[in-house]
Amino acid sequence: MLCLLGMTAARRYFEDIEVGEEYESPGRTVTETDIVLFAGLSGDYNVLHTDAEFMKKSIFGERIAHGLLGLAIQSGLFYRSGPVFATVAFLGLRWKFKGPIKIGDTIRLRTRVSGKRETSRPDRGIVVVERRVLNQRDEVVQEGETDLMVERRPA
Amino acid sequence: MTATAARAYFEDVALGDSVESPGLTVTEAHVGLYHGLTAELPDDPGRVPDLLPLCLSTGLGWRVPRPPLAVLAFLGVEWEVVKPLRVGDTIHGVSRAVSRRAMREGGVIIEEHEVIDQRGQVVQRGRFTFLVARRPAP
Repeated sequence: MLCLLGMTAARRYFEDIEVGEEYESPGRTVTETDIVLFAGLSGDYNVLHTDAEFMKKSIFGERIAHGLLGLAIQSGLFYRSGPVFATVAFLGLRWKFKGPIKIGDTIRLRTRVSGKRETSRPDRGIVVVERRVLNQRDEVVQEGETDLMVERRPA
Repeated sequence: MTATAARAYFEDVALGDSVESPGLTVTEAHVGLYHGLTAELPDDPGRVPDLLPLCLSTGLGWRVPRPPLAVLAFLGVEWEVVKPLRVGDTIHGVSRAVSRRAMREGGVIIEEHEVIDQRGQVVQRGRFTFLVARRPAP
C-alpha cells in the first residue's frame, strides 16, 4: 500500500495498530556521499568513516557507514514502509549494531509491532516497534526496538 | 619526530570522569540536511528531528579536552528522548565512561551521554557501547 503525504485518512491511531503487524521498506543504497554528508552534519570524522587508506588495513577492509547514519536512514525508511502512525513523539530506543554497512550496500527495514501500552494520558499510548535493518545479502546489520508515543483516535 | 594525533586506548579509559563539549546551535541547515539525508518527513520544520541530537552528540564528543577513543566498532546504543528541541536551541554534551570490560581483542567501554540545552535541561540521554583497541605494543 502506498501512503502519500498529506493523506490524513491513512494515519493510523493507537487503536488501529495491532501487535504482530509487519512491514518491509523499499531498499536504499548507501553511498559515499551519504557518509561524507553525515560526517559533515554530525562532526564525526572518525577514521572508520573517512580514511580509506587506514581502513584498508582494518578488519573491515574499507570505510564503513557511521552506525548512527544507518539508524537515521532506517528512521526515514520507516516512513516509506506503508504505515503512517499518528506519532506524537519518539520516546527512545534500544539498538545494536551487528555488522558494517559498506559503501554500495543496499539496506532495507523490516519492522514488527511488538507491543502496545496505555499511558496515564487518555489521548495517547505507547507502541513498541521491533526493527531489523537488512543488507542485500539478507544479513542483519542493525536491530533494536523503538518506543513511539501515538495518538488515540479522537472522540 | 612527527607528532601524531593522540588516541585514548582501552587502558587509558578512567571510569567516572565527566567531560563536557562546547555548545552547538541547531539550525535550519542541520534540520534540512538531516531531512534530505534520511528522507524523514518534516511535519513541523521548526522541530528538530528526534534522532538528530543523538547524531550531533557523537560529533560533539570529539570536541572535548581528551583524545578520541580508538574505536574499533560501535556496538550499541540505548537512548531516551526526554523533551523536544526547536531550531535555534543550543545543545552541548556531557559524557563519562561507566563500565570497562577487557576482551581478547581490545575491550568494551560503556559511556553515559547527556544532551543538555541552553536552559541546562537534559533533552536526551543514554548509553553508547564501544569496542576499543588496546594500546599497541611499542
